[in-house]
Amino acid sequence: MTENDRLLLNAYIDGELDPAHALEFEQRLAEDNTLAEEHRRIEALRNTLRERLPRETASPALRRRVAALARPRPFAINWRAGWAAMAASTAAAFAAGSIAAFVALGPPGREPIPELLVASHMRALMASQTVDVASSDRHTVKPWFNGKLPQSPRVVDLAAQGFPLVGGRIDVIGLTPVPTLVYRARLHVISLTALPRSDRASMPHQPIDGYNLVEWTDGELVYWAVSDLAAPELENFAKAFRAGNPEPEQAR
Amino acid sequence: MARGDSKTRFADVVMPHLDDAYSLARWVTGNRADAEDVVQEACLRAYRGIGGFAGRNGRAWLLAIVRNAAYDWLRKNRSPAVVNVDDLEAVERMRLADDAAGTGDNPEAALIARADEAKLQAAIARLPAVFRETLALRDMQGLDYKEIAAITGVPIGTVMSRLARARRRLIEMLGADR
Repeated sequence: MTENDRLLLNAYIDGELDPAHALEFEQRLAEDNTLAEEHRRIEALRNTLRERLPRETASPALRRRVAALARPRPFAINWRAGWAAMAASTAAAFAAGSIAAFVALGPPGREPIPELLVASHMRALMASQTVDVASSDRHTVKPWFNGKLPQSPRVVDLAAQGFPLVGGRIDVIGLTPVPTLVYRARLHVISLTALPRSDRASMPHQPIDGYNLVEWTDGELVYWAVSDLAAPELENFAKAFRAGNPEPEQAR
Repeated sequence: MARGDSKTRFADVVMPHLDDAYSLARWVTGNRADAEDVVQEACLRAYRGIGGFAGRNGRAWLLAIVRNAAYDWLRKNRSPAVVNVDDLEAVERMRLADDAAGTGDNPEAALIARADEAKLQAAIARLPAVFRETLALRDMQGLDYKEIAAITGVPIGTVMSRLARARRRLIEMLGADR
């Protein structure tokens, strides 16, 4: 096989040949066994790379740090040390089990929860989809969380009130994986995250980077709604959610 | 406000491509913690230079900055041999021309198909940086040759030969029965 043939073969596989050259090359592939063998090896390689390697994505922490670059206030450069500390405490949290992980939420000196929630919401809007499980059926979304988190949120059907369910995802807030439901209001996306209850009272929040936040406590969970929806509409959503009928607790 | 403008531009131009930036940095540096360093540095450069960005392809612009930051990092932290591939080119070209005689039932393809993630990661780590970069941009990130040439600042012919050689080397490493 000449070097030129090899370049053509790769270009053919990558769809870089124009139709006339691709046709010509296909005819050669059919006749030339050496070329055809290499074609199979490269295809096998490409499939393996695609299937076996994880997609490498920026962590939420990196995303926040980069977003912070554009903030008009000085930021701490020494984030690598913070990263190591974070990795260590994540490991510790997992080791200590999920209940302990809930308790570990929001240690002092970390970014406040509203910022983390807005960052997760922004991250979700930038991803190819805002949810890990896409379903408008609460009976699909709730069990999905049950398999992954110690505590799953209420999932309420609000389609009739104008807030159809889009699905759910898991966010990591202050090192704790927490359930987030995604609803839609016209073209706006609402992220509704359930955090373990803290001893801090719920309070009204100022918008962050154009996103409104509403917070309320329900039993052992604190619910946070984040959206670019206008504040009164987001309040309506919160009211509708609180008034909505959750499904009966499922026996597990 | 100049400050407000660059902030908005940065959010519009850079933030949507952060995953691509990270992925490229991860494959060039070879590990995730260093990739975060590199992306952070690259984004700082991007933020400072955002006023000079007039093009439409924010992704290509950012990835070119990321790759420069990644090579600066490699030069500082790795031996020059890892970075510099020029002297390899002639030898490689000769090897490329005569490898890979047809083997009939193609056991290599079967071995490659069975390679697990650890084996793939190890094989990719053994490629020279410019090969990893080209492979990542094409096979992990799906860019076409023209975009890769623009980002890496080399002619399309060089992109083609780097990609062909990267794949050939991986086939040799993964297809060898051990």
